[in-house]
Amino acid sequence: MTMTQFQTWTQFQSRMQSHSRRLPVLSTLAALAATVLSAGLASAQSLPPLPAAIKAAGLLKAGVRCDQPPYGYKDETGKFAGVETDMAIQIAAWAFGSPDKIELTCVTAENRIPQLSGKKVDLLIATLGVTPERARVIDFSKPYRWGGSDMLVAKDSPIKKLDDVAGKIVIMLKGSTQAKWFEDNMPKVDNLRLNTASDALQSLKQGRGDAYTHDAATLIVIAAKDPSLRLVGEPFAISDAAVGVRKNEAEWLAYVDAALDRMKAEGLYAKWVEKWIPADIRPFYTEAFEKPKPTAR
Amino acid sequence: MEFDLAYLMAQGPALMRGLWLTVQVSAISIVLSIVIGLMGAAARVLKLPVLDKLVIGYVEFIRNTPLLAQLFFIFYGLPTIGLKLSLFWSGVLSLTLWAGAYQVENIRGGLETVAKGLREAAFSLGLTPWRFFRLIAAPMAIRVGLPSMLNTSISLLKNSSYLQAIGLAELTYVAIDRISMDFRTIEMFAAICVIYLALVLVLSVFANRLENRLNKPFRV
Repeated sequence: MTMTQFQTWTQFQSRMQSHSRRLPVLSTLAALAATVLSAGLASAQSLPPLPAAIKAAGLLKAGVRCDQPPYGYKDETGKFAGVETDMAIQIAAWAFGSPDKIELTCVTAENRIPQLSGKKVDLLIATLGVTPERARVIDFSKPYRWGGSDMLVAKDSPIKKLDDVAGKIVIMLKGSTQAKWFEDNMPKVDNLRLNTASDALQSLKQGRGDAYTHDAATLIVIAAKDPSLRLVGEPFAISDAAVGVRKNEAEWLAYVDAALDRMKAEGLYAKWVEKWIPADIRPFYTEAFEKPKPTAR
Repeated sequence: MEFDLAYLMAQGPALMRGLWLTVQVSAISIVLSIVIGLMGAAARVLKLPVLDKLVIGYVEFIRNTPLLAQLFFIFYGLPTIGLKLSLFWSGVLSLTLWAGAYQVENIRGGLETVAKGLREAAFSLGLTPWRFFRLIAAPMAIRVGLPSMLNTSISLLKNSSYLQAIGLAELTYVAIDRISMDFRTIEMFAAICVIYLALVLVLSVFANRLENRLNKPFRV
């Protein structure tokens, strides 16, 4: 189904639904106030019908990150938090009429695609970058933001730009976008590939590598907190982040795409960025959601 | 997703590099762990003052804590008190200490079977405790303890896969790393299982030969 067909179809559906489905929604309780309000504001943004399989489950099973602030993490009390977590909750609210109709699962960079393929979750909003390798295994929604890579180094490190890491050891996570990028673009650079972001950070601070490369969004938070480290500041490997769904679930994919459109149209991203991200580092994230993708290596 | 043999072939060189590192780490650790085993068992059996208590503590500590915790302790913990080992030697140290504890017990078990009278006879002939241990007790103990020493060595070889957690590019690391990039789960895990199996079989053949050789004087 092409995008244009789908959008006209959405609009058609929205006209059909505006009479039949809004009344029961209105009758549900306070948690829905926001949904109802926004639905009233933008009637063209109503969503296509929910696929039967998802509807039958009665709740949304979503995979989110638990170690990637500010996108997906757990707060001090152990509750799910972050922009992408709110996106998942919003989709549940639209799909089932209540933000509580959601089952969130922590996924990691390594296990997120197996979790989706194994039907443990029905979608991934999990800092998932769009790559051709992944697109062979799962389907991507339209991108909702872009994300670049950067490097974290010791404050007094001689590394000032990307090319300075030649002949040095770069720490990265197994299966990360950066691992793939270095393999393709700077294969001569020595790698230390670890399993978790905390292992990587620990190793950098103990001098087991000269730089730690990961998503810029993650590193900015660390650099802001840790005065012994700084960002190199040359962005590379910029890619789109999108929602992941299983292959051959066109109806569900269409629903997710429509939901993302609606989030954008209703200005929800800006609201969430403000909610989860401290003001001093906020501009970077606002750009990632609202501005077009910059060009870089 | 069907089994993709061409993909596996393409990963051959990477797997071989991983295999080579697994073999190196395991071989060094097996040898060193047997050295620890011999020294520790000697300290226990000869009841060397202080040392035998230390060996008891070491064995209990290693046997009652998880290998992964020991590995992280050596790799991330020791540098904070100023002892930073490379990836490779962190791996060797943790495997050696882990297997060493079991080898102490394996060899000590063998030494227990050496008849008391032999020791008395050796001492009355004027042998020092050390010469008695080296020339009489150790060869007899190793012969008895060999099957369990082999067991420990096999476990060590398999446990070298833990080293992927600290980023040492051994066999399991290569597989997990490729899977996280290419999602070819079945191919890679099948490949490394077959490789580990082959390695262990080679080790067993080697140990069986050694056992036969040590048993030569006892054959009827």
